[in-house]
Amino acid sequence: MAPLFPAFSVVLPEFILAAGALVLVLIGAIRGERSNGLVSALAVALIAAAGIAVAFQGGERAEAFGGSFVVDNFARFMKMLALIGSAAALLLARDFFQRAKLDRFEYPILVVLATLGMMMMISANDLIALYLGLELQSLAIYVIAAFDRDNARSSEAGLKYFVLGALSSGMLLYGSSLVYGFTGTVAFPGIAAAVAGGHGGTGLIFGLVFIAAGLAFKISAVPFHMWTPDVYEGAPSPVTAFMASAPKAAAMALLVRVFVGAFPDIIGQWRQIIVFVAIASMVLGAFAAIGQRNIKRLMAYSSISHMGYALVGLAAGTANGVQGVLIYLALYLAMTLGTFACIIAMRRESGQVETIDDLAGLSNSQPVLAFLFAMLLFSLAGIPPLAGFFAKLYVFGAAIEAKLYGLAVIGVLASVVGAFYYLRIIKLMYFDEPKAGAYQPMAPEVRFVLGVSSVVVILFWLAPASIVAAASAAAKSLF
Amino acid sequence: MPDAALYLTILIALPFVGSVIAAFFPTNARNAEAWLAGTVSLTNLVITIMFLPSVRNAKVVRAEYEWLPDYGLNFIARLDGFAWCFSILIFGIGFLVVLYARYYMSPADPAPRFFSFLLAFMGAMTGVVLAGNLIQLVFFWELTSLFSFLLIAYWHHNQNARDGARVALTVTAAGGLCLLGGMLIIGHIVGSYDLDVVLASGDRIVSHALYLPTLLLVAMGALTKSAQFPFQFWLPRAMAAPTPVSAYLHSATMVKAGVFLLARLWPVMSNHEYWFWIFASVGVLTLLIGAFMALFQQDLKGLLAYSTISHLGLITLLLGLGSPLAMVAAVFHIINHATFKASLFMAAGIIDHEAGTRDVRRLGGLFRAMPITATLAMVAAASMAGVPLLNGFISKEMFFTETIESHGNSVLDNNLPYLATLAGMFSVAYSVRLIDQVFFGPAATDLPRKPHDPVIWMLVPIGLLVLICLLIGILPGPTVGGFLATAVQGVLGPQLPSYSLAVWHGFTPALIMSFVALIGGVVTYFTLKTYLSGNIEGAPVLRRLKGKRIFERAIVILSWRWARRIADIVGTTRLQPQLRLLLLIAMLAALWPLSAGALASGALALDVDWPFAVDPSFVLLWIVGCGCALGAAYQAKYHRLAAVIIMGGAGLATCITFAWLSAPDLALTQLLVEIVTTVLLLLGLRWLPQRLEDTGVRISFGARLRRLRDLGIAIVGGAGLAAIAYAVMTRPQINSISSTFLERAYSEGGGRNVVNVILVDFRGFDTLGEITVLGIVAITVFALLRRFRPARVSVEAPRQKRFQNQFDADRYDAPKAGIAAHYMIVPGLIMRLLFPVVAMMAVFLFMRGHDAPGGGFVAGLTFAIAFILQYMAGGARWVEARLRVLPVRWIGVGLLVAAATGLAALVFDRPFLTSAFQYADLPVLGRVPLASALVFDFGVFSLVLGATVLVLIALAHQSIRIYRAMAAAKAAETDAIEEAR
Repeated sequence: MAPLFPAFSVVLPEFILAAGALVLVLIGAIRGERSNGLVSALAVALIAAAGIAVAFQGGERAEAFGGSFVVDNFARFMKMLALIGSAAALLLARDFFQRAKLDRFEYPILVVLATLGMMMMISANDLIALYLGLELQSLAIYVIAAFDRDNARSSEAGLKYFVLGALSSGMLLYGSSLVYGFTGTVAFPGIAAAVAGGHGGTGLIFGLVFIAAGLAFKISAVPFHMWTPDVYEGAPSPVTAFMASAPKAAAMALLVRVFVGAFPDIIGQWRQIIVFVAIASMVLGAFAAIGQRNIKRLMAYSSISHMGYALVGLAAGTANGVQGVLIYLALYLAMTLGTFACIIAMRRESGQVETIDDLAGLSNSQPVLAFLFAMLLFSLAGIPPLAGFFAKLYVFGAAIEAKLYGLAVIGVLASVVGAFYYLRIIKLMYFDEPKAGAYQPMAPEVRFVLGVSSVVVILFWLAPASIVAAASAAAKSLF
Repeated sequence: MPDAALYLTILIALPFVGSVIAAFFPTNARNAEAWLAGTVSLTNLVITIMFLPSVRNAKVVRAEYEWLPDYGLNFIARLDGFAWCFSILIFGIGFLVVLYARYYMSPADPAPRFFSFLLAFMGAMTGVVLAGNLIQLVFFWELTSLFSFLLIAYWHHNQNARDGARVALTVTAAGGLCLLGGMLIIGHIVGSYDLDVVLASGDRIVSHALYLPTLLLVAMGALTKSAQFPFQFWLPRAMAAPTPVSAYLHSATMVKAGVFLLARLWPVMSNHEYWFWIFASVGVLTLLIGAFMALFQQDLKGLLAYSTISHLGLITLLLGLGSPLAMVAAVFHIINHATFKASLFMAAGIIDHEAGTRDVRRLGGLFRAMPITATLAMVAAASMAGVPLLNGFISKEMFFTETIESHGNSVLDNNLPYLATLAGMFSVAYSVRLIDQVFFGPAATDLPRKPHDPVIWMLVPIGLLVLICLLIGILPGPTVGGFLATAVQGVLGPQLPSYSLAVWHGFTPALIMSFVALIGGVVTYFTLKTYLSGNIEGAPVLRRLKGKRIFERAIVILSWRWARRIADIVGTTRLQPQLRLLLLIAMLAALWPLSAGALASGALALDVDWPFAVDPSFVLLWIVGCGCALGAAYQAKYHRLAAVIIMGGAGLATCITFAWLSAPDLALTQLLVEIVTTVLLLLGLRWLPQRLEDTGVRISFGARLRRLRDLGIAIVGGAGLAAIAYAVMTRPQINSISSTFLERAYSEGGGRNVVNVILVDFRGFDTLGEITVLGIVAITVFALLRRFRPARVSVEAPRQKRFQNQFDADRYDAPKAGIAAHYMIVPGLIMRLLFPVVAMMAVFLFMRGHDAPGGGFVAGLTFAIAFILQYMAGGARWVEARLRVLPVRWIGVGLLVAAATGLAALVFDRPFLTSAFQYADLPVLGRVPLASALVFDFGVFSLVLGATVLVLIALAHQSIRIYRAMAAAKAAETDAIEEAR
């Protein structure tokens, strides 16, 4: 007898998250606010369990639900990133929310649901699955962006993200329906076959443009980036950390899968879009970040430009390019989580502080924190021997290999500009006079996240092969 | 040499290991630190010297480790003669600097930090020169920038040190990033990052189309590192570093990394006009500017810094000339400059240490106070000036010879000898000034400390270096000949050009130039002496051209003004412009494929045949619909109630369109959904202010214009969407599933209403899932609204609503009178009477659903409307006092019935949700289709009804809850007052 549910082993990680989230809702609903700690811990455990399930899925390609859900090396790599990002976001949140009197059991559940959405996005192999995953993820994030709902900025962040996100989802849907209308199928392989067969024409490009616009919004690439600084600034810091890490990876995975999986034959068309978006993101992110005073806004622009760098790899459109994107995302995840751990650690007696000037003289009061923060910033700037250098190396290398010299050179120049504002923060931390007292001690979970990500960032050069080989295998599974 | 790979690895690793160990020593362990650092550099020096036989005659030693294998990147330590020569400098001078630093640093300075950074820098520099692939070179290149940053900022309590460090890092690290880009392109051209492959690539790089961008990027890296014009400004600022750091980094090692790189790539990149123009012109400019500015410095270290810049310019110029002989001269000058400049920096440090100031004007007559230091410094300075019998003279003469050689018939080339002589003159002048004003003349009287010669161990390093200067200067052949040959062979290969290392070459033009420079320099100095001793800072004319000032100004403009402006222009924090931007960009993006050829080719087939003759009434309907949509948009901000109702009109037009285009089922569903959503929206309106206060105010012209613009955007966007949608919909369907459904609906599902058959039969499982979700959603909405409270910051209730609330609260216990009585009495009565009619209608729609438009979903919505009308007419209290509405049970029953129908099929051994159908003749109703799907449909009906009503009730109860809360608050207040009494 055939198994009742043959897809089960393929969707096991997703199943764990979905079922687990429902159980968590029940626990939360029955035990009320007392269950916050328990739900939080269980959510981390769930994500860990899903991670283990992902790790134990075989390396071969497997499909489920009539081919609309696919698990391959690429999916497994990106799912690991998404899961790590989510787990870290949960760890970063606990102490922060307790102190901010925002501790609610819904937060971990929403993060788990968003993670589920991301996993579905990453595995999506047709337009419907793509949209389902994307919306599940986005809806959860809209809510947690406004989690501090008595705070006007947080509410505004959530609302703004929702309104603009809904608009972008609309564009995505519109593009999807155009693609369906012109190719007659929603499955990526089917679309690829139709495109290769010459179906579509301009209508298809229309669809492609709208899909690209919708996805560009999700990774906050210029010119769909406007929401990023406001939402990053307004949302509670752990939520910002979450938004800056895992969903970015998931949306980028989606972008890669859509373009490489469904439109490989018209790379000339979408490469123009990606190149434009990449250049605009790198340059605008770099320049606009310089003038920022709020560290979270600065990180928002920084994330915009980093997405631009990652897109450089995608623009190459080769296996090496995708590998570059994957390595970039993996290392960016570590850098961004570490940086946000530092931002969350910026808390004085009077409460959380967020301006860059509050970092002045950090090296005197907290040398270890200052050192790690400095290393993370150097890494973000792309200075060796830190991980960020290798991330840039791979994407620029792939771009040059694909003969996109102009793109690579502009990327290098943008990173020169970008290095400037990271260095400014370091100068502030190390050389300026402190304005107020030391920060309060960090929570152990925050310490843990900072420690692990710093180790990855600082020591990546010693053993780069592990991540690189995994990314290489993942990239090859798409070609 | 046995196991060369191991030793090569030790060369790179040992300083880093030492650095880590050094970091853990106690703060005041100066001796231990110095011993450690000294041992490390001496060990490495010995290892390097032992490598000599392996690198002679252009041989290369390599050690390779896997690093990023799949990227073709291995960690390669590669030692050739050139790298060997640099290693000797790094470790030899490194050792002397460590020895010097032991006595230079005061006990108050934290020693671990200094020595740890110094060793790490040594390791990074070794990494640069031993790099066997290009990426590795960039990697260590940036490390040297980082550690130099830390070393310059060692005294970070000093504002100058902090600024200097930041400027140095910004400039050099940015240059390093450019270098990375250049290296990536070179790797692409050659096909490998391996240095040996690159060096063996011949003219491939030069003849490649990307030569110029590559060259520019590499040049950015090299010129920033070697402080060449226009990036020279960071070096003088870095003089705030402790003197051992300056002696090490800014004479012998770090600044040499730039010229090292140029020499490294010289064999494969120099054979082009661009190379000559870029590096020769930058070199000669730097040479002149540096020498000129050095003469006018009042700070001893500043003078040395500009002199370093000038000498690096000289080396860059030599490398830029592109001839092998110039290459020899460049390498030779690298060696010589390292020796005399390091010793001069150390001497300057001693003077600063002992006299307490570095201001050349305040110093004077120190020869008497510190004769040994003075003698050594004078010899070194003479070498810097190019006095015969010292090493500076020989390499400078080689330089002069090279400038005379013709390299190409250009203006620059023809004038080089004169420019070189001029620079040499300034060089002599500032050297003489250093000697004369510091060591001779009237003894300084106002020195902070009484100067005397320092301990012998501070003098030993200088002495050794000066001895080398002398030895090379007097006996160049035997002393440095082999060394130089080994180094140059590392670059040029085994075939060396013929050159002669001798002091005397006869009366050559170069000799004449040397003497002109010497005499001219002395004359220049003595002419300017009084002026120089005056109250001047920096060189005339060029003083204005302060790189630092320009840099900082550029930074301010870039980082604040422009960045802010960009942020202001592109980044708005307001939602409306963001939405507008997003829409506009999407529209532009949509235009892109059109412009990409569609307009020309007409591929987007908009000229489809109209499938129906356009009926005037249909057009009228659409005009009404569009009018409604516009009206709704217009009123959305000012009168939401009106907007919602007008929107209903637009929806109605859509419904009629559906019916018109023969989709009655769709029309019916749309109509009902329209009604329900409108009502729910109306109920939701209560939490928003009713209307804006300032509707009566005259709208300004600008606002009108803005609205017109938005209207335009909306019309263009909407029309565009409609056009594309139309184009898609009128395309022939590809392999659509709908034909299958149409064919099989009656034969297999027993219904003529295909939509309904699909819902309850073909895709019954989907429908089951959907109604489950619907039920959950309804219960969730209910649960959420029970706890709902508007956020504190959301809009405060408008005046009229507050008034109304107050009124209601006051009257809560009072008899129903006032506005409640007779309020909406006529429509209320009609609505009440409508209840059975609407209910009947629902049953009718339900029963006919299988064959004609209708069905459980539609019927459920219809029934819900019946309830909604009651709530609207009578209010929540009135309805609930008379009707027991149990929506949750409806939901439950619906779900159970639907599931049970499906399970029933299992009893008959059919798959889940298989349906059977039959017709039955019932009294009154007549012939009725009785499919098992009808029972399933009843489940759908029940659930839709329950869900809709549940949401409605949740909304309706909000009104009651507010009064209850107000009453409770009032009661509590009264209690409090009474208690107070």
